Amino acid sequence: MTKLQAKNIVKHFDHNGNSVVALDGVNLNVEEGDFVCIVGPSGCGKSTFLNIVAGLEKPDSGEILLNGKPISDPGPDRTMVFQEGALFPWLKVIDNVEFGLKMAGIPTDERREISQRYLDMMQLTKFADSYTYQLSTGMKQRVAIARALAMDPEILLMDEPFAALDSQTRDLLLVELQLIWERTKKTIIFVTHNISESVILGNKVEVFKNRPSKIKKEIIIDYRRPRLAEDENLQQYYHQILDELKSEVIARTKDEIQ
Amino acid sequence: MNDTIKKHKRNFDDAANAALFIAAFIGVWQLVFTLGIFPKISLPSPTMVTETFVKIIFNGTLFWGVGVTLGRLLAAFAVSITLGTLVGFTMIKFKSFGKTLNSFSAGLLAFPSIAWVPFSILLIGFNEFGIMFVVVMSSVFSIMISTYSSIRNIPPIYLDAAKNMGAKGFSLFRHVTIPAATPSLIIGLRQAWSFAWHAVIGAEILMSIVGLGHILSVGREFLDMSQVIASMITIFTIGLLVDRFLLHKLEDKIRAKWGLDNHR
Repeated sequence: MTKLQAKNIVKHFDHNGNSVVALDGVNLNVEEGDFVCIVGPSGCGKSTFLNIVAGLEKPDSGEILLNGKPISDPGPDRTMVFQEGALFPWLKVIDNVEFGLKMAGIPTDERREISQRYLDMMQLTKFADSYTYQLSTGMKQRVAIARALAMDPEILLMDEPFAALDSQTRDLLLVELQLIWERTKKTIIFVTHNISESVILGNKVEVFKNRPSKIKKEIIIDYRRPRLAEDENLQQYYHQILDELKSEVIARTKDEIQ
Repeated sequence: MNDTIKKHKRNFDDAANAALFIAAFIGVWQLVFTLGIFPKISLPSPTMVTETFVKIIFNGTLFWGVGVTLGRLLAAFAVSITLGTLVGFTMIKFKSFGKTLNSFSAGLLAFPSIAWVPFSILLIGFNEFGIMFVVVMSSVFSIMISTYSSIRNIPPIYLDAAKNMGAKGFSLFRHVTIPAATPSLIIGLRQAWSFAWHAVIGAEILMSIVGLGHILSVGREFLDMSQVIASMITIFTIGLLVDRFLLHKLEDKIRAKWGLDNHR
């Protein structure tokens, strides 16, 4: 069943008085339970696309359908894990996880129970009463994932959530995220500029073209899980994506120099 | 355990240094007095000022004055906070209004509180409300501008994350906008408090028949420099105590809770 559909999404930006086309007709179908990774050169508009799906930005034209219904505003059916976590420093870890549930008007006992469950899942039980500044970057991202999952969203959006992590922590979270995906059967869209991340996580990898951006190629990765970073058999997918991406990165670099 | 001992020792050292500084200050004062550079009536000795202190404490003048001054100040400051935050929120809500008012902010903030006094006397008169008007006008803009800029400087990602989790309208405001702006709001509050304190003393010197500022101005009229200095010391001490033990403490507490003081 199609969970999310992006139809011909177009988005302009004003940059120093010039109009820059960021997205030039992005079409994407995400099936229920898909783990879709979006890779592309930096600045290609992949995060913009994710923000549009989240409802945080509006497209100039085109529409996003969730379960066949068009969406326009942000909503808890599409929760986002941001690159920098975006946890609230004035709240304890558990209150951060509960935030969305509180906004939804769920009674205290119930939301305590739900958030406790996701803290347990992310192995954060001990840190429920900590403040976020007391946590490492990796732990903050765990909290952010727990917070997003606690909303039980239709679709989980992740915007380069592991970009700021050291490689050991990232490898660990890459495995954990696959296990969570298998356990919760969530539909996930994961944006990254890191090809190996996309190969490890995605069952579909969408390669974005340089600006004006659209989807250049979809690569299906049908391979057993959990996939590990050091698995040599993943190399072929890696190279397949790299081949698609190389010319885009070169084009992007040219754009930046000029 | 070790940390608490260290902290106590540091506090003790700080207090010892402050005491030493005060002793040195009094020493120099006494020296200047003994050398007779100024006539006795222009510069009394520390002992003479202490005698005046004892006198105005025991005849009730000082307590009455301090009470009246703080009463005015608190009432006017409460008005300032209420008005300032409301206008600040309005500036956020109506963008071009906010932008316009904000462009006047430098003039409003730098406007000397004493310069409100003639206006207040003619508009309201030589009364409580006249003094309070000066205090309000001197501190309200600081609250207003700090409310406006604190909210505008909230990192957009907090608001995005909150909206993403379904927060909107008043609950977004209450659960995200206000707490996210709080550390910066407190700084504005401290600044406004110091403006209000300047204003209340200034207005009392010119407009009042009771209060700390009035004790000061009576001292001048009767050529009683001891009383002038005693009031000045009182004004200094109250300003210091309120900032250090109330506002600064509050700011430290909030900064620690928000994780802003964590230089690891």
